[in-house]
Amino acid sequence: MAIDSYRYVDFATRQIMKAWAARQEPGVVPFTRLAKPLRECTVALVSTAGIARNDDRPFDQEGERRDPWWGDPTFRRIPFGTTEKDIRVYHLHIDPKFGEEDLDVLLPMRRLSELAQEGVVGRPAPTHYSFMGYLLDTTELEQKTAPAIAAAMHEEHVDAVVLVPV
Amino acid sequence: MPDLTRRVGVPRLAGISHPLSRPLGRPHDADGQRAVLRATLALLESATAPGHYVELPFEWPETVAQARNASKDVPPSPIAALLLKQPWLIPKLYLGRIPA
Repeated sequence: MAIDSYRYVDFATRQIMKAWAARQEPGVVPFTRLAKPLRECTVALVSTAGIARNDDRPFDQEGERRDPWWGDPTFRRIPFGTTEKDIRVYHLHIDPKFGEEDLDVLLPMRRLSELAQEGVVGRPAPTHYSFMGYLLDTTELEQKTAPAIAAAMHEEHVDAVVLVPV
Repeated sequence: MPDLTRRVGVPRLAGISHPLSRPLGRPHDADGQRAVLRATLALLESATAPGHYVELPFEWPETVAQARNASKDVPPSPIAALLLKQPWLIPKLYLGRIPA
């Protein structure tokens, strides 16, 4: 791996993140080949930036301030066509201003639409998703949030997903 | 952080050396963002086995110091603030022993 994954974080964070990475056992890695050409696929995006629409419930930042070992493990739907004017970024471990200035920095729905017009992909899914990635305990993410997102994607006949970690 | 993401065990992974908070690139750099997304989507067809990893060739146009300085006004996260006040808790986080 030539990229230094921890290039932009401070020394203490680097040590802690490396220790977490070293402990992580990938187990059996899932892999499903595309069932059709990419140019025919419906594609959904998922961001870990904690993006919520202004007409939706914010991620629970007060809960994390009360208990810094905890992070909100829920998710939000981001309908296609949502822009930076419609959202806030609720993530206390990143700088929200870039994504709030231009949502495509985090959830590139306009770029995906352009690639659909070029014929690279079939179409953007009607709905895209965000959860908040600071989750030291991933139990609820694995047991409730991820299956709920997958079920919603299944209903919209999504063929492929790009997860954008922040 | 492709190192961490790879250890989680994702089917296909595109690593990129962009700062935190800006995975697709700079705000309003539509061409750059589109190039990143295009290269990432290409993996859906080019990857042949679980855990397939490629490093995207995009260079960030700032130094590390400049990139970090752009976010210098962001307050420490709650866990960072807690550990500054109570550094004896650092081993718990390092070892992944999360208080119940």
